[in-house]
Amino acid sequence: MSMEAKTQPMARLSGLSLMDVLRVARLPIAIVVVLMLFGLVEPRVLSLGNFRNIALQTSYLAIFAMAQTMVLLTRGFDLSLGYTVSLVSVAASMAMVAMGGGDASILYGVGAALLVAGVIGLANGVLIAGIGINPLVTTLGMANIVLAFASTISGGFPVTGLPKGLTAEFAQRSPLSIPMPIWIAALVFVLLFLVLKATRFGRSLYIIGANPRAAVAAGIRTVPVLVAAYTLCALLAALGALLLTARTGSGEPNLGGNLTLEAIAAAVVGGVRLSGGEGGVGAAVLGALFVTVLSNGMNLVQIDGYLQQICLGVIIIVSLIVNRDDARR
Amino acid sequence: MLEVTGFTKRFRGVAALDNVDFSLNEGEVHALLGENGAGKSTLINLIAGTFPWAEGVYRINGRTITSLTPHVAQEIGIAAVFQEFSLVPDLTVVENIFLGREQSSGLFLKRKQMRQAAVELLDSLGFHLPLDENVAFLSRAQKQMVEIAKALRMSPKVLILDEPTASLTDGEAEKLFNAVALLKARGVGIIYVSHRMSEIRNLSDRVTVLRGGKKIGTVVTAEISDEGLIEMMVGRPVEQLFPKIEHKPGPVRLEVRDLTTEKRSVIGASFTARAGEVVGLAGLVGCGRSELCRAVFGLEVVETGAIMLDDKAVERPTPTSMLAANVCYFPADRGSEGLALARSARENATMSSLDLPELSSGPVLKFWRENETIKTPLANLALRPMAPERKASAFSGGNQQKLMLARGLMKPFEVYLFDEPTVGIDVGAKADVYNLIKSLVEAGACVVVSTSELPELINLASRVYVMHEGKVVAELAKHELSEAQVLSHYFGGHA
Repeated sequence: MSMEAKTQPMARLSGLSLMDVLRVARLPIAIVVVLMLFGLVEPRVLSLGNFRNIALQTSYLAIFAMAQTMVLLTRGFDLSLGYTVSLVSVAASMAMVAMGGGDASILYGVGAALLVAGVIGLANGVLIAGIGINPLVTTLGMANIVLAFASTISGGFPVTGLPKGLTAEFAQRSPLSIPMPIWIAALVFVLLFLVLKATRFGRSLYIIGANPRAAVAAGIRTVPVLVAAYTLCALLAALGALLLTARTGSGEPNLGGNLTLEAIAAAVVGGVRLSGGEGGVGAAVLGALFVTVLSNGMNLVQIDGYLQQICLGVIIIVSLIVNRDDARR
Repeated sequence: MLEVTGFTKRFRGVAALDNVDFSLNEGEVHALLGENGAGKSTLINLIAGTFPWAEGVYRINGRTITSLTPHVAQEIGIAAVFQEFSLVPDLTVVENIFLGREQSSGLFLKRKQMRQAAVELLDSLGFHLPLDENVAFLSRAQKQMVEIAKALRMSPKVLILDEPTASLTDGEAEKLFNAVALLKARGVGIIYVSHRMSEIRNLSDRVTVLRGGKKIGTVVTAEISDEGLIEMMVGRPVEQLFPKIEHKPGPVRLEVRDLTTEKRSVIGASFTARAGEVVGLAGLVGCGRSELCRAVFGLEVVETGAIMLDDKAVERPTPTSMLAANVCYFPADRGSEGLALARSARENATMSSLDLPELSSGPVLKFWRENETIKTPLANLALRPMAPERKASAFSGGNQQKLMLARGLMKPFEVYLFDEPTVGIDVGAKADVYNLIKSLVEAGACVVVSTSELPELINLASRVYVMHEGKVVAELAKHELSEAQVLSHYFGGHA
């Protein structure tokens, strides 16, 4: 961080105008503005309890947005992320129930989650990087397969009887009065930030996304990097799936329905570029916060669910346009 | 006919063009000369209506124009051929020529008429193109011809050509020059942007030199020497473009035996390159010299033949393994294969060297040492501006080239493969590249240069291999090197 942070403002200091400040800080500003606007209509939006609620909601979405960012950076995306969450939730729950549903079975649940997600991510990565199938087609196909598995093994019903250690104790724990999911999202953020900044793998993701052919010519082994990116994406999705499962208290085959789109939306709104090579986990988290604040506000002022979907769609398109203009300068 | 005065354009507060006057007469070829970033592109883009000008007056045929879009510009007779093609790869040559100006009767396209018109247009230019082939399958030179034909379909009064010969071989360029002469005789005014002094001399009536967004002057071409033009352009006298290289041929570093690529772009090619010498690869664009370099570096699939480094055969070369074996390749097309344009200069300079102990240990990237590591290479190449955190895309062509070349200075490589090292860069940057080659060779490296610029081969190389249709057809020693000698082998036969 140090060098980037130091040189950038120095180089620009002379031409730093109000417009520049607005451009760099537009998303935080937008978040505050949205909060204020909803606050005018519904004062509860600005209550401490709601802030806590927003933070908690954001932590889940942020994990999925960060997962998605790993592959968005490489110029790909993972359309199977949402259903992976569903399948992991169901499979992990069934594993725990099968192992007796005691606290000792949690380990099996985690194991099942990692196994399922690992297989999905690896398969995505090998098909896309190894065989060279378009990420859109690959992950869309994978999404269907995964959805079918999730529905079949669960019979379409929630899996109940999860260990208390997971649903009551772990999920309700709040060290330093900060809920567990926020801690975990923060930990994921720090780890991924370091991975992107301070590992060859992280740098390779950016280079591959910015120009895959140049990455090859520069001697970067693109296939293992891409396979790792898709696997990491799926494993992070599994982590988020476990947290969501702990919160809902059951394995839900419908858990991930909208998550794919929301995760991509959050990352893109935050400034991760669909064309690859630009953005980071900070952008993903900020984007997740924005999307959450928006949907939280719309819920509290009781805007119709479909209208909310429309708003989300419009926001994605607007942010794509705004970010595109940014890239032109 | 065309006159602009006081033209000014700012990008984010920085003047890309500052109070520039420019005029063009009927039937005149007016060359625009300047280093990369001098404002040539900005000026022609303003004239062509790509983006609006901030200040200035634009007059054409006595009419003052207040605003312009590319479409309106075409209607009033201004056509432009830019370096970036605006062709649709999945349409045919004919369809591309009439793209956006299709002739139709009612709902139906007049395919026959359009085809006929295309034939006449191409014939009048002396271009031979497969009319019904999809543009995706054409060579770069052929695409360039389509682009020119497309610009001429509206019979413009003003034609803007932006480095039209950058990707053409001499024979193809000759056709273009004929077309230019033809159009000139018809009274078309032509704005001609080029880095090549010989073209400017042969084609243009007047030259306007830009530097740093300002106009340095407009001169009648016949009244000024090359040196005078270069001095106007760079603002200081340029001693000699090509440095004198001391060749001290040592042991054979790289040997290629009977190499054939899977795509048959190279057929049974053999050559050797020694430490301490520059070996040139000559030939038309598409003759296989580029693919030969790429095959050595593992970017083309090799079917048969051997690649030997220091007498040891390389099995299944990949860019990763070749870089590790101290072979460095600089691609011809820095935009599509060389640089990650959206990333910073720093990341571009280090992207092929992330495994060096200075930059990483195991998976950990020592990003805190990156700036230190790239400091010397970038300073040696005189990167301008020296701004490692700037996006690569924000640098001029010549400086982008330097970013790519910086990779070769991150560690001492033994073999350097340069593919078109000076394409589309200005004279100042060219001199920097030649000096880099000189310092590498004199330090004992083995350098292979594949280029369409004959003067480069003749001045830099100690030996030249000429290729034709994938085969090596001649090897010329230093004392045999002349443009005529090299050219005589370009078409395979012995002249």
